[in-house]
Amino acid sequence: MMMSPLSGEPVVISGTSSDSHTWNLVYLQLLVREIGHPVLNLGPCVPDDLLVAECARARPRLVVISTVNGHGFTDAVRVAPRLRARPELAGTPLVIGGKLGIHGDDGTAAARRDQLLAAGFDRVYAETELAAFADDLAQLRARVAS
Amino acid sequence: MTAAAGSFGAFVAQARAAGRLVVQPRMGFSDTATSRAGLLATKRVAATTVGTLTIDSYTRVGDVAAADRALAAGVPLNGFPIVSHGAERTAAVLDGVRDTGFPVQVRHGSARPQEIVRTSLAAGLTATEGGPVSYCLPYSRMPLREAVGHWSRTAEILAAAPGGGAHVETFGGCMLGQLCPPSMLVAISVLEGLFFAQHGLRSVSLSYAQQVDEEQDEEAVHALRRLAAELLPGVDWHVVVYTYMGLYPKTPHGAAAVLEASARLAVRSGAARLIVKTEAEAWRIPTIAENTAALRLAAEVAAATRWADADPDPADTTVHTEARALVMAVLGLADTVAEALPEAFRLGYLDVPYCLHPDNAGRATGEIDPTGRLRWADTGSLPFRAGPATAGRGPTSTGLLAALSHLQRRYDRVPATAGAVDRPVLGVQMTITAPGPTTTQPGYLPPSPPEHLASPVTRAALRVQQQVLTAARSFLAGEEFIELLPPVIGPVTDPGVRGSKQLDVDYYGHRYKLMTSGILYKQASLLAFDKLFFIAPNVRAEPVETCNTRRHLAEFHQIDVEISGGTRADARRLAERLLVHVVRHVLRTAGDELTALGRDPVVFAELLREPFDVLTHTEAVAALHDLQYPQSADAEIEWEGEELLSHKARRPFFVTDYPKGSRGFYDRENPERPGTLRNFDLIVPGGYGELVSGSERESDYATIVTRMRETGENPAKYKWYLDMVRDGIPASAGFGMGLERLTRFLTGLDSVWQVNAYPKVPGLVAP
Repeated sequence: MMMSPLSGEPVVISGTSSDSHTWNLVYLQLLVREIGHPVLNLGPCVPDDLLVAECARARPRLVVISTVNGHGFTDAVRVAPRLRARPELAGTPLVIGGKLGIHGDDGTAAARRDQLLAAGFDRVYAETELAAFADDLAQLRARVAS
Repeated sequence: MTAAAGSFGAFVAQARAAGRLVVQPRMGFSDTATSRAGLLATKRVAATTVGTLTIDSYTRVGDVAAADRALAAGVPLNGFPIVSHGAERTAAVLDGVRDTGFPVQVRHGSARPQEIVRTSLAAGLTATEGGPVSYCLPYSRMPLREAVGHWSRTAEILAAAPGGGAHVETFGGCMLGQLCPPSMLVAISVLEGLFFAQHGLRSVSLSYAQQVDEEQDEEAVHALRRLAAELLPGVDWHVVVYTYMGLYPKTPHGAAAVLEASARLAVRSGAARLIVKTEAEAWRIPTIAENTAALRLAAEVAAATRWADADPDPADTTVHTEARALVMAVLGLADTVAEALPEAFRLGYLDVPYCLHPDNAGRATGEIDPTGRLRWADTGSLPFRAGPATAGRGPTSTGLLAALSHLQRRYDRVPATAGAVDRPVLGVQMTITAPGPTTTQPGYLPPSPPEHLASPVTRAALRVQQQVLTAARSFLAGEEFIELLPPVIGPVTDPGVRGSKQLDVDYYGHRYKLMTSGILYKQASLLAFDKLFFIAPNVRAEPVETCNTRRHLAEFHQIDVEISGGTRADARRLAERLLVHVVRHVLRTAGDELTALGRDPVVFAELLREPFDVLTHTEAVAALHDLQYPQSADAEIEWEGEELLSHKARRPFFVTDYPKGSRGFYDRENPERPGTLRNFDLIVPGGYGELVSGSERESDYATIVTRMRETGENPAKYKWYLDMVRDGIPASAGFGMGLERLTRFLTGLDSVWQVNAYPKVPGLVAP
């Protein structure tokens, strides 16, 4: 389950440092692979240092942060500038999705999204935007293949 | 061995001897007053209860400073910060609450629990839970060897507790909560129990978390008891069952039904204790009142259930055989379990499906089989092999989601009570829990039209059908097929319809027919368009005996497709892609309807893997003979035979090359295999039978006339058609997909009339 036999730089999938949920990451791994990307799944509870080091080493085509425990926003805003601070990751596509706050959609979602974008994410997917995420993966696949 | 008097183990043993199941909540609050109130409420429930202090997540990961800060700031935590509160304040919470008739257990989830355990013991709390594997792999990134080290030291601290040592429960029967086959849960639970015993603990409990199949769960608990009896002599032990730990039902009736099933499981399989879940589980942390309500319900159900025999069932079930193989393989690796566990994971002897921990091999996968049991999809390096049919196959992302929500959907379906009294017919349907239709039920026929139309089942089915139509039209339009509106009457119609009669209408003094299929007009329309389809009403006065097949209607619809210049392979491939597209679309857009109808999307996971299998008619006949079914090799596959094959299948499959006499004159004979047709049927699994019928068409005038004569048709009747064929029509291939049959397959309903607004069941006079 950990590594994919497909070739090329992987899509890195990771949970945040405080999030021990696994099933979201397993699902994303299957989805990303079905769309034709190799995957490096770092699993749940990934400390910031480990995420930065693994991304710097793997030079991913895309980094996907998935979070469902409600505290992912805080973790993500903290770690994104650290990824961006590495020159080799400055231009790497970086996205996040899942449950991004503890209160669901309470009107602060837009503000949280803006903060995540400001922190260095290229795209923030709400829980309901899985189809858009899959479409973007397919487009990325087409770009990589061409 | 009996437990020390007054201990946790002794309390459970006494309840068990008295025939009472011990019930326990998963309760944890950050402040002392609420914690005390929760324990008192648990104690006052009219049942044999144990109290719980569940620790918060900061303390569980060792970040006591963060728990301190939250406590100081009055920020609520998701559990009791026992280290921050300290032994004295904790003891004050328990004062006057805990006694020999009401033990309290600490539950935490920590891979490094020394501090938690020391504080617990200092507060007089001698019962806890966890394990070196079960609290490391699913929830932590700590290397397994390190977690084993921490748990070894923790077990030593617990064994040295005053009063003959503490009680520890393994958490090994949970492992990610779902999709881990029961044999692995049993094995890890037993191994963690042995780990504790080897560190000197004399009282342990072994856990097993309820999974998706009641019978398999009972086998698992019996296997767990058998292995404990064999491997833990001299140790006081009991089995604790956890109510389902995966995606939990969202409806109150669904949540209650799972809880009830877990209570029955505990009693029937001879467990002694049950840790419950509440109806709030899918949404948030439950309140004290929700916890006590769950405890009462579990105790009531347990009291009404017959206990298992004192000795575990000695049957060598698959669960027992596999679990024993796992445990023995691990014990053979080293002198102690502490040394053997990391090695076993390194070698993949132990391998938890879908666990992403770096020390887990990740080669084995689990799945829910078509009968609803959990089984190995791939056994990786486990010390046994599962059936070859499934080895090496992992799930798709859609399949995984369906499997994860399998139990949730099953229990959230419309409750059996809705309308069951005045609508016994629907009541029967709603209470079926097995996937797919069961036996034919005489009298299983439509109610009155107003009742049928107003039924929530009919309305849900018709909403699904609307999505089927939307999907079929958009798919075919995308493939550049043009939709034509079919005629309803004509001088002749399709004669090649087995056993059914045509209905006449008086058309200005001419005897016209209602269309039994659109085939003649589809062929004619090839003169206008290369690719076309109808969504056509058909009327066939089927034989009365088909009224109980559950898949015949006298009036129904077909998605009727024709491809100019197409081959049989083209038609087959298109039918396959159309079906997969429709299923995907319906899963995406009609999930609520499927849930309400109790249809579990897991049954479609296999279907979504194209291409489908292909059997020739000869092979299908041979398969039926293997099943002791007397099918003639020269005839159409009989209804019962088709249903039998459909029940045996896991995926849709084509049957090709039917003998010539079995179909209409327009199905082309195979020039290489005279006597057989270039045709196909598509059969779907689950007993739903034939969904599609298609073929390459005959377009040669002389051949068509000959075939008409062979089948007893009078060519003179077909004047308009034969005149056209003589002038030349394109060769083609096509198929008809039964719309109501497709909707029935998608909804899982018992009978095809349930998916038609105005059903006409053969032989019954209906409006």
